[in-house]
Amino acid sequence: MNDLWIETGWLSLNHVGETLCGDKVEVFGGGDEDLTLVLADGLGSGVKANILSTLTSKILCTMISGGIPLEDCVATIASTLPVCSVRQVAYSTFTILQIKNNETAHIIQFDNPATIVLRKGEVFNYPRTTRVIAGKTIWESVFPIEVDDLFIAMSDGAEWAGVGMTMNFGWTRDSIADYVMANYLPENSAKSTASLVIDECDRLYGGRPGDDTTIAVARVRNRHTVNLIVGPPENREDDEKVMNLFFGKNGTKIVCGGTTSNVVSRYLHQPIIAELSYPDPEVPPISRIKGVDLTTEGVITLAKVLKYAEDFNDQAKLAHIWITQKDGASLIARELFENATDVNFYVGRAINPAHQNPNLPINFAIKQQIVTNLAECLEKMGKHIRLSYF
Amino acid sequence: MKITICIGSSCHLKGSRQIVEELQRLVKENQLEDKVELAGQFCMGNCQNGVCVTLDGDTFSLTPETTRAFFEKDVLPRL
Repeated sequence: MNDLWIETGWLSLNHVGETLCGDKVEVFGGGDEDLTLVLADGLGSGVKANILSTLTSKILCTMISGGIPLEDCVATIASTLPVCSVRQVAYSTFTILQIKNNETAHIIQFDNPATIVLRKGEVFNYPRTTRVIAGKTIWESVFPIEVDDLFIAMSDGAEWAGVGMTMNFGWTRDSIADYVMANYLPENSAKSTASLVIDECDRLYGGRPGDDTTIAVARVRNRHTVNLIVGPPENREDDEKVMNLFFGKNGTKIVCGGTTSNVVSRYLHQPIIAELSYPDPEVPPISRIKGVDLTTEGVITLAKVLKYAEDFNDQAKLAHIWITQKDGASLIARELFENATDVNFYVGRAINPAHQNPNLPINFAIKQQIVTNLAECLEKMGKHIRLSYF
Repeated sequence: MKITICIGSSCHLKGSRQIVEELQRLVKENQLEDKVELAGQFCMGNCQNGVCVTLDGDTFSLTPETTRAFFEKDVLPRL
């Protein structure tokens, strides 16, 4: 095994007027384990399509990740999918992306637009063979992966975006590849790349998608640890011990909270230099301490980060804010959602005597709750989380 | 002269941003950029009385509404 990490992210648009999506993405593993990602597109839209794609993706993901031969998987699907009473067919297209041992990519595609692979930001034309299983022509590709490889799987709704509206022939796979290349940054997360493409599809559809549209992205990256400390330890005698532990770790260091910053400043013998600019009026300014990558206020900033995290796990409507802004919450969000694969939280239990006043405008006891919820969100993003309390 | 404004959690919620912006505006308006330095500081431990502002070692409690009066009564005469 190597130090690579597989990150995934996906988003869908529903056919206009439908509450269910006829595309479905199913993922097993990822991170430092083998990945199996299946994107299925069920025939039609609405409930029927949703059932077809859910069955297809779930069956394929479970069987393929269990090491069962492709022939058996396809045969299982063919005999399981309900036959549409209108069209007299049972049909769902699929793309399977497997990454094994953090070394080899295996792509199996049936009737979805071909998965785009970017290598070092350029389109990589990977080798492809075809074989026929149960009457279906299936494309297969096997090749070794490299760091920064980006896999973009899609349903045909992406290719057709804008057809007859903003464009004559839709967006096409090649223009999608050009668009991703033009906006490529190695540090962009899988989810924000998916969000970038899906937003453009939505725009081309004029907000009224004529087909279910799904973009699923897998990204090969190096591991990166972020350490975040919030709140001073319950017992003052532990300050030194916790500081030794925190600064002994590899990776990015983020310090949240005024009192915590003071402890850090004493430990490092470096002054805190506060900024007085408010890129986001709701978020207190950041500060600078030499030896710390980012210093912010505590509870208000983290509450905003949590808001961004919950949104990012949902429809990612707020991602455009924190991806570009320079306030403390946006900077933490970028570090945690985009850069980190492993996050260590150091949570101090000290109660700030200055905050123990019922007349203060917020309840500072929510700090630990915010951290717990944020850790859960990050786990959903596929990151390894460690919480330590002092 | 250095005016330090608390930008800690509690004071932030009580309006330190408005006070910072008001003071920045007043300093500029009176062309005092060379004489008055504005700085932020995390919690000064006096949250009940926030927003905490210090001026040459003296502590003041401001609200966005009283900022102009503070500037005229306490800042200008000390220059």
